[in-house]
Amino acid sequence: MVVIAITGKGGTGKTAIAALLVKFISEKTSNVLAVDADPDSNLPDALGVEVEKTLGDVRELFQVTRDSLGTVDKGLWLEGKIFEVIHEFENFDLLVMGRPEGEGCYCFVNNLLRSILRKFMKHYDHVIVDCEAGLEHFSRKTIESADYIVVVTDTSRKGLKTAKKIKDLVKELNLNFREIFLVGNKIMGNEAKEMIKDFAKRENFVLLELLPYDEKVIELDLKGEPIINLPNDSEFARKVRFIAEVLTGWGS
Amino acid sequence: MVERKKIEIPEGKKVKVSVGEEEFPFEISPMFEGERIRKGDMFVELAGPKTMGFELVISLPPDQVEDMKATLVGIDLDEMEEGGRYPFAMIYYIAGEKIDPDIEPVVERRNHEFQNYIEGYMHINSRDTIWIRIGKNAVKKGLKSLLQIAKATMLLYKNEMPFIEKIEALYITDKELIERLLNELARPIYEERDARVEKLHDEDVEEFYSCSLCQSFAPTHVCIISPDRPALCGAITWFDARAASKIDPEGPNRPVPKGECIDPISGEYTGVNEFAKQESGGSVERVKLHSFFDSPHTSCGCFEVIGFYMPEVDGIGFVHRGYPHPAPNGLPFSTMAGQTGGGKQTVGFLGVGMAYFRSKKFLQADGGWYRVVWMPKELKEKVLKYIPEDMRDKIATEEDAKTIDELKEFLKRVDHPVVKGVVRPADGKKITEGWVEEKEEEKVEEVEEVPAEEAPTVLPTQAPQLPQIPMAQSMPTIKLIIKNARIYIDKIVVRKVEDKKS
Repeated sequence: MVVIAITGKGGTGKTAIAALLVKFISEKTSNVLAVDADPDSNLPDALGVEVEKTLGDVRELFQVTRDSLGTVDKGLWLEGKIFEVIHEFENFDLLVMGRPEGEGCYCFVNNLLRSILRKFMKHYDHVIVDCEAGLEHFSRKTIESADYIVVVTDTSRKGLKTAKKIKDLVKELNLNFREIFLVGNKIMGNEAKEMIKDFAKRENFVLLELLPYDEKVIELDLKGEPIINLPNDSEFARKVRFIAEVLTGWGS
Repeated sequence: MVERKKIEIPEGKKVKVSVGEEEFPFEISPMFEGERIRKGDMFVELAGPKTMGFELVISLPPDQVEDMKATLVGIDLDEMEEGGRYPFAMIYYIAGEKIDPDIEPVVERRNHEFQNYIEGYMHINSRDTIWIRIGKNAVKKGLKSLLQIAKATMLLYKNEMPFIEKIEALYITDKELIERLLNELARPIYEERDARVEKLHDEDVEEFYSCSLCQSFAPTHVCIISPDRPALCGAITWFDARAASKIDPEGPNRPVPKGECIDPISGEYTGVNEFAKQESGGSVERVKLHSFFDSPHTSCGCFEVIGFYMPEVDGIGFVHRGYPHPAPNGLPFSTMAGQTGGGKQTVGFLGVGMAYFRSKKFLQADGGWYRVVWMPKELKEKVLKYIPEDMRDKIATEEDAKTIDELKEFLKRVDHPVVKGVVRPADGKKITEGWVEEKEEEKVEEVEEVPAEEAPTVLPTQAPQLPQIPMAQSMPTIKLIIKNARIYIDKIVVRKVEDKKS
């Protein structure tokens, strides 16, 4: 199992990149799990699929059902429900983490979730996680670790600042990652390129790729059409395919 | 009790039988546990959320069980269509000297684990929610009959649970028969099991369980989970904790040997006291499981409901997390929870789980329901069926009383036991004096009583704060509790340790 986490400030295009990574990696192996761990973005839309229920819904259902379960094993019950909200598509499975916790105590359910997710994720070849900059599910250890962390940024000050923050957070969380990468997005002109390169060097990121500003990506996003419909021969798609190749072949 | 007997197979059904051991075309190993067979890799789906099925273990006398025999009613794997979905039931008859209906659920629970050892076979959930997938790879390797699965599972049962002397399997894919057995046999047995839980009490078991899931934010909190006292977050019953401790003995739920019973009414046990002392770093010395006033259980902060004592009426009120208004004592849930949480024993407040209201030993030491005077309507409705009938109209809600004065009037009007004195049902002892006649005098007594009980637990936190000495991370930390001590220090010199002194 290789876990790839895609993160960065909202609006930098991380979900588009995550969706294309799912597309390209799942063309090579069908044993791919995509995880939408960012409540603000929408990986299913980007992938062009519909999702009804989320892990958050299951967690809430557990909270209200647990008293009436009698002697039913709650771990087994929860595992069954999680398997029901894993959406299965031709080339990949998709799990949407969904809404945050409500009031009350989630210690027990989260503890069960951790062991269930850990057990079942390890049977996938690749797990691709689209997560918000706070890395909530990694800090809670609902997802145990990430092998590769890909931080997406544009040239905005906020984007870069968030990238730096993520790097510090990753260090604090003790994620046993193998490498942390930077991907520059919406890069126009040499000045912007140099700026991202300098930043990567200064902050000790491995700079993976610089993606262009792509009108088509913006257009698909505006129309709410799936990003995976982006023509494979566009520069953007070709470069993300290269990222996919690097990530699946890194170290080998 | 549902009669345990062999299932009669109706005439005219397609039946396939296999006896004895055989070679398996698949690997069997714990390594395959948790394997998800993806839709694209799936040959067929059996039972599951979109069709039906169940699993059931039935204990029988040895002469009725044919060891290692497997029977299938309905079509077999090699007659199924690829990508299809079929109903499925698995029934195991077991026999052995130590086997009785009580052990059935314990054996049944292992079906999940054992079947997941089978390569290319996925088993999810339990009872009538089971969900099975068989992978294309398994069929390619030579799996062609469900009887092979039955044989492998029975073999694992006999290896792992040697007390099973004889085992026989009946697998069914015939929809009509499954439907009938589900309603007439399986569900009644599941219900019977759940009903048995309600009858299991603290005195029936040797071990309780602990829960330390909340210790990260309530370091001295030790949840003790017994059959009569589920965890106060409401999530974990004695059965859950037992299951968890079997899977991970070093995990958050560990067995707590009961030891000697010091007092059956308040629920005090030597084993629990020792455990609490050790786990709380000495700050909690005694825990009485069913007591509100004397050495109550600690509260973590996760509790669903908080109980609070109102000295003015000498009764206990309860308020749940979802009730936003102040209780008659003028405090909302959040304020009381803030005072009580963090793993302290706070006399006068107690965090409990919703399920504790079901307990036969609910606050037994303090009169149980006969001491309860107030709860929000929403909460009262939820637990109404557990309230003794003669008390149902005597417990006020916000519709009856919003303040202490209104509550007093209400209690007098309905003649609540606290008014004339509570007799606790556990032993018939009168534990409170009541307050209606000697109102003034009683009030004075109450005021004296409460701080006196609080004193030993409150003292350490009121002790003068010593200056914090920063310690290296690797140094073991200790907790020092000084009680009733007089310390005289003439002089303290604090000096930085010099490394290069030599």
